[in-house]
Amino acid sequence: MDLISILATVILVTTVGTMVVGVGAYAAFKLRDKRKPSKKRTDDTLDGTGRQEPIFLKRYVPEATPPTTADET
Amino acid sequence: MAIKTFSRSAWVAAALGGLVFLLAYSYEAVREKQGSFTVLLENYALMAITVYLLIFLVLLIIRYAVLILYSFMDHLESLHQKRNVSPTLYRDDSALPMISLVVPAYNEGLVIQAAIRSLLLLDYPNFEIIVVDDGSTDDTYEKAIAVAREQLNIPVRVVTKRNGGKAEALNTGMTVARGEFVLNMDGDSKLSSNTLRACIRHFDNPRIGAVAGNVKVINRENIWTKIQALEYVEGLAMARKAQSFMRAVNIIPGPLGMFRKSVLQQVGGYDHDTFAEDCDLTLKLLMRGWHIAYEPTAIAWVETPSGLLDLLKQRYRWTRGILQATTKHSHALWQPRKAGINCFILWYMLFEGIMWPFSTLLGNVFFAYVGIQYGLATLLFYWWLQLTVLDVVAASYCVVIEEEEPSLIFYAIMFRLFYINIIDVSKVFATIEEWRGHTMTWGKLEREGKL
Repeated sequence: MDLISILATVILVTTVGTMVVGVGAYAAFKLRDKRKPSKKRTDDTLDGTGRQEPIFLKRYVPEATPPTTADET
Repeated sequence: MAIKTFSRSAWVAAALGGLVFLLAYSYEAVREKQGSFTVLLENYALMAITVYLLIFLVLLIIRYAVLILYSFMDHLESLHQKRNVSPTLYRDDSALPMISLVVPAYNEGLVIQAAIRSLLLLDYPNFEIIVVDDGSTDDTYEKAIAVAREQLNIPVRVVTKRNGGKAEALNTGMTVARGEFVLNMDGDSKLSSNTLRACIRHFDNPRIGAVAGNVKVINRENIWTKIQALEYVEGLAMARKAQSFMRAVNIIPGPLGMFRKSVLQQVGGYDHDTFAEDCDLTLKLLMRGWHIAYEPTAIAWVETPSGLLDLLKQRYRWTRGILQATTKHSHALWQPRKAGINCFILWYMLFEGIMWPFSTLLGNVFFAYVGIQYGLATLLFYWWLQLTVLDVVAASYCVVIEEEEPSLIFYAIMFRLFYINIIDVSKVFATIEEWRGHTMTWGKLEREGKL
């Protein structure tokens, strides 16, 4: 076996190997991205569903008052 | 008109006739020897791939030759300018315009203080630093404000805002900037002390709208980062130098780009619709007719991913971002007369972004198949060798021009041996996902605080 054949075999094995590693690494990167928990919510004003709640102002919702006798008449 | 149409039809008919003749001839030749349709099909496929790879190879050699030639011309031009401009004629310090340095920071608590302190050492008499805290969840804001409070000579302002991405942070910085010129950078970049003086002189030319800096790798600690150091010098700096000769740099790098504030405002700042906002902004400037220069002596030292998965994440985002930016400006692809050099720039980006990774991967698969199936592994070796020779030549040239470590040339072999195969796989998948419209999120590199 001459030098060129040996080098050719090395390159062949390396090329096939690195392509397999490339596909594997890509799959691993995608998997890691999917499995990674979404750290801490970046915005503390968002609730668990991603909806934004007012920080300082609380919406005023009047309590439901029972109908008075005057209303009934 | 009729004659022209007839002539065109005749050419098409002749080409089709020739193709049919070739197919029939080759079919006959194969049938006589093997007599199998599968073999015939295989022959056609291998022949088509061979022709394609030959065309790709020719384009690649032209690409390397043009880039080396043009970057050398740019080098000569800058030497000529340096020789002709007398230092006494250079701008007086008191006449230098104000520059606003915008540092977007998102969870950069580990590096932000070092980054600001290094900026304070820049050699320029008239500048301010604006740190835009993009809603960090760590102590970035507190750390930045601590440095701002202890600083009296150079104004350091810290702006905090709701998290909205790098583009939004840079736009905020642009809005509050007081300077006539804005230098945008990354929170983790370290600039060479001459950066501001080196970049500002390009704006003497009123057609220059922005200046791109030179990005180099600071954390050369393992084989991944050392190969990236070579990649930044060879793939990015050489290309920018060549493009600078044409005054059409296609990407002003995120770690270092200086702009006229008026030009940034004119194009509406950064857009949010791509993941390569720096590339998108550069294309917007080019489309508006602004020239973009490259300043090789203005250096931004950056931390690059030191692990494979982080590296793939970065390249995945770059690939998709560049494709998004190219698609956004794709109208120029088909208007060579109107778009001029911008048309060429876009085609070049598509060549680098799509054709190159696909072709090298196809070449590897093709030659590996031929090597295993027909015992012709030497073909793969020669294919690899010619690509490696191109890389080594380009690396040697860049190392000399950029006055880099000569040991980087050795990494050109490693680059071709395994690095680029792995990266190309990721780029091909990223291209396919972009084409299929997969959703994508920002990938932030986890900082190790090496600056």
